[in-house]
Amino acid sequence: MFDLMSIGFKYVFVFIIYLFIFTIIRMIYLDIRNVDYGNLDSGSYLKLLNRIDTLPYNLSDSYPVETELTLGRQKDNTIQIKDPYISKHHFRIIKDEEEFFLEDLGSSNGTYLNGEKVLDVTRIRKGDMLKVGELEFIFIDRE
Amino acid sequence: MNDKLNSKTPRKLLFLFEILSLSLIFLYSWEGIQMETYTIAIGLVVLIYFSNFILSKISSGDNYIFLIVSMLISIGIIMIYRISPELGLKQLMWLTVGITMFFAAYFAIKYIGFWEQLAPLYLAACYILFAVTFVMGTRTNGAINWISIAGISIQPAEITKIIVVFLLASFYGGIDKYRKIKNAELFLMGIMYSFVALLFLQRDLGAAVIFFGIFTGLQYIYSEERRLIWANIGLSIMGAAAGYLLFDHVKVRVVTWLDPWPHINDKGYQITQSLFAIAEGGFFGTGLGRGNPSFIPLSYNDFIFSAISEEMGIFTGIGIIMLFMLLVYRGFKIALRQESQFYRIIALGISLLFGIQSFVIIGGVLKVIPLTGLTLPFVSYGGTSVVTSFIALGILQGASEKRGKAGKANE
Repeated sequence: MFDLMSIGFKYVFVFIIYLFIFTIIRMIYLDIRNVDYGNLDSGSYLKLLNRIDTLPYNLSDSYPVETELTLGRQKDNTIQIKDPYISKHHFRIIKDEEEFFLEDLGSSNGTYLNGEKVLDVTRIRKGDMLKVGELEFIFIDRE
Repeated sequence: MNDKLNSKTPRKLLFLFEILSLSLIFLYSWEGIQMETYTIAIGLVVLIYFSNFILSKISSGDNYIFLIVSMLISIGIIMIYRISPELGLKQLMWLTVGITMFFAAYFAIKYIGFWEQLAPLYLAACYILFAVTFVMGTRTNGAINWISIAGISIQPAEITKIIVVFLLASFYGGIDKYRKIKNAELFLMGIMYSFVALLFLQRDLGAAVIFFGIFTGLQYIYSEERRLIWANIGLSIMGAAAGYLLFDHVKVRVVTWLDPWPHINDKGYQITQSLFAIAEGGFFGTGLGRGNPSFIPLSYNDFIFSAISEEMGIFTGIGIIMLFMLLVYRGFKIALRQESQFYRIIALGISLLFGIQSFVIIGGVLKVIPLTGLTLPFVSYGGTSVVTSFIALGILQGASEKRGKAGKANE
């Protein structure tokens, strides 16, 4: 009985160890791919506050905001997040004469700016916190 | 496709591995099952699962290195328990101490800021530890590297390794300060050579190789005087040749490495048994509890890699090597991200320490390089080895989130 189990288990052990190594390599790979080496010292961007490796989808550390940035579940958004809590087109940030405005695009679960639900087009300043579902961003403006 | 992949997956796999291997251990010692078997099973699972859980909550830094090490210690302790239940239980105790020290080292690095100013202290500590070893040391397996304090045997060289990393980091991290002193780097090289020479006299060849490896690695990366690096390489070749000609114990290692078969009954016994064991195991091993790892001398310690390869197969052996590669890679990644020069060198030095140590001992038991007595970090049995490896890991974990002076200036 023991011999039989021991022989069977040795394959299982090898399989588990390699699966373990594989998942770690995959996590590291996702981690590396998402590091953006672009120049973020100037300009405005959204910085993700969640730890990337705790989230089940691909995200970058930060996203530059140029003239317009949209977030949603559908492919045509700047930031695409496949999360059921996020609407197809969730919110957008637009730049107008050196000022940035946040607009909720009629999402079902809402966008929160510094803890308050966004109802109208709202001006955002640097250091503002955006919350969508479980994701949190901070808006950084270097200009 | 990635939906299921998150940081919990490897932790679950680790858990599964432990449950399965422990159930096998239970069956293995079914007749003589005792309280201690239960202790080890529950202790191991609780220890590893909770320390990983706590770390993921408190640390915002790297969360891979501790997972990788958890897998290594799981494989190690199960093999040690299978060879000798008594040692397995002791190893569990050391792991508990080690993980406590891991958290202690992590917090010490995170919250204490003056590590880079203690260079003279590190230097003094190294020499004191060497002196203590010579005065109080006892000779085991031909090397004077153990001292005994209050019934606990410790290996001072293991502790010195970490202090040397700090010494080198505070030197190269504050090189602007030392550049004013004439020949400061030459002086450092002299100090390092004195360490290696002392280890040679203690016949602790493995530790000598590690000290030299860490020094050469860091010197290669940070030294601005290329001539010194060439001088270092030249001197090391001459030193190795002189060691081979002058010392008998070095000669034995080289002779048994080149051809152990004529000496199978005495000098080459260890290495040949190790090779037999690995060959016996094949790809998937004989199965846990079905091999004869007790034929290899020190199978729970220096030769644990051969024992694992025998019972769990060379695939597991390759897995262990891959885990070490990942660990070293993560260490380099931490170093690249770190902005403070001092902590960057610390992270590099510790990664080099793990890398060189595992390479030297795995290479040794596979007869790829001459065998030098070292423990396989985290896998081998050994109190000092486990505790100091965990301290080093804690320092690495601390360095992964430490914001040094350079980092603060940028904010």
